[in-house]
Amino acid sequence: MTGDLMAPGLDHWISRLTAVAAILLLALTASGCAPSTTTPAAPPPPVARPAEPTLSVAIVGTGQSQFAVDEPSAQPGRTLDEVLRWYPYGGMLRPLAGVLHRAVNRYFHTDRGRTIDPALPTPPSSIVGQAMARSLRASGRFTEVRVLDGEPTGDGQPADMIVRVTVPTWGVMRVRSGDPDLVSGFVDARALMVARSTGVVVWETEEDVTAPQRLPLESLTRDRDLARQELVGVLERAGHRLASELLYSRSGEL
Amino acid sequence: MTRRPLGHLGGLALLAWIAVAQGCSSTSALDVGYPDARSNASLLAAAPPRRVDVAGVADRRSDTERIGTSSKSGKTVVTTRPVPDIVREALLLEIVKNGHAVGTGRPDALIQAEVNDFSLDGVDGFSFMQYVGRVVIGVTVADARSGQRLLSRHYVGIKRSRVEKASEEAGRHVMDAALARALHEFATDPEMVAVLARVGS
Repeated sequence: MTGDLMAPGLDHWISRLTAVAAILLLALTASGCAPSTTTPAAPPPPVARPAEPTLSVAIVGTGQSQFAVDEPSAQPGRTLDEVLRWYPYGGMLRPLAGVLHRAVNRYFHTDRGRTIDPALPTPPSSIVGQAMARSLRASGRFTEVRVLDGEPTGDGQPADMIVRVTVPTWGVMRVRSGDPDLVSGFVDARALMVARSTGVVVWETEEDVTAPQRLPLESLTRDRDLARQELVGVLERAGHRLASELLYSRSGEL
Repeated sequence: MTRRPLGHLGGLALLAWIAVAQGCSSTSALDVGYPDARSNASLLAAAPPRRVDVAGVADRRSDTERIGTSSKSGKTVVTTRPVPDIVREALLLEIVKNGHAVGTGRPDALIQAEVNDFSLDGVDGFSFMQYVGRVVIGVTVADARSGQRLLSRHYVGIKRSRVEKASEEAGRHVMDAALARALHEFATDPEMVAVLARVGS
């Protein structure tokens, strides 16, 4: 009785195992014969790909810019700061030390600033705006990219987005201590993108931009053309940087 | 059971040794990286999905032993992980985030990368420290089928930051940001998008 009951079950399991073994064998043979390079790739993760561009943008350079030759190592202030650390009421005198330090720095900065001021024909924010426009055009993400001399008026075709670019400070800054110290051109730039129809700010950023080249300060004070080239270069770099950040953070929505 | 006095002394000695070892350590290690949360799909996603192989990143820095030296303490500044690994991971993340597959099946494009600069400079100022982090990555793209080189570019990321007090955290933050900027340049390069669109089509 027991044997009768067991026999059909065993047959059943044997046939199931044979079928599974056959499938496994087939699968192994197939994978062994197939070239390894044609292994089907895992599908890439789903990503929202940018649609066709529909927006136009106008860039306006605006605001005042201050040119500075910034050498943070000015010794008088630093020495005073070190002294105040050991003085019991040093903390109270520190603001006064700061004022004194800035006065000393201003004297030196003004002098050096005059020496290497490149006297650009256009405002720094305008150069940054032009460079930003070139990068945005090259991206192909906008139907039109224009650079305006001033705030848009009612004349002409309005843009969907207005980008206002400001350069509060720019100039030359010490970036490496040594003998001699090395300096680079720098730009602190801001951009604000506003939807023209609603006035809503859709994107804004502040970027500290530093030129890749590092030079002794004297090479810039001696060679006016080199200084001009470096400073225009870092302004253009700032425009490219603003465009890159806009494209990076907003590509899905442009 | 009572503790032996030597146990207390031993504990104190151990603490003192740790304090001295940390204070006298000649190396400062920064955990620089490109976190997943800070990356997203961007212009590179405009190219149709491609399969990409990224080779090991070559280290072409002039000094591969350190990324900088602390100006005050003279400590050598290094990264906790090898710089080429940091850069390769960041590149892979950026490619995948833009909808392309890496290391699966027959590739459409081969990417070779090298690190040309990965450095941190600290400049002492009046009541502050200014950090400047620099990352320069060279990227070459080739058609995987023909082997033909299609594009060779350098992506530069520079970040500067002033802090009141020098710290490892501030240095790491600056290097993270410099790396992110170099990667953003890569991900928003229209020529890179055009090349990826061309291969495998």
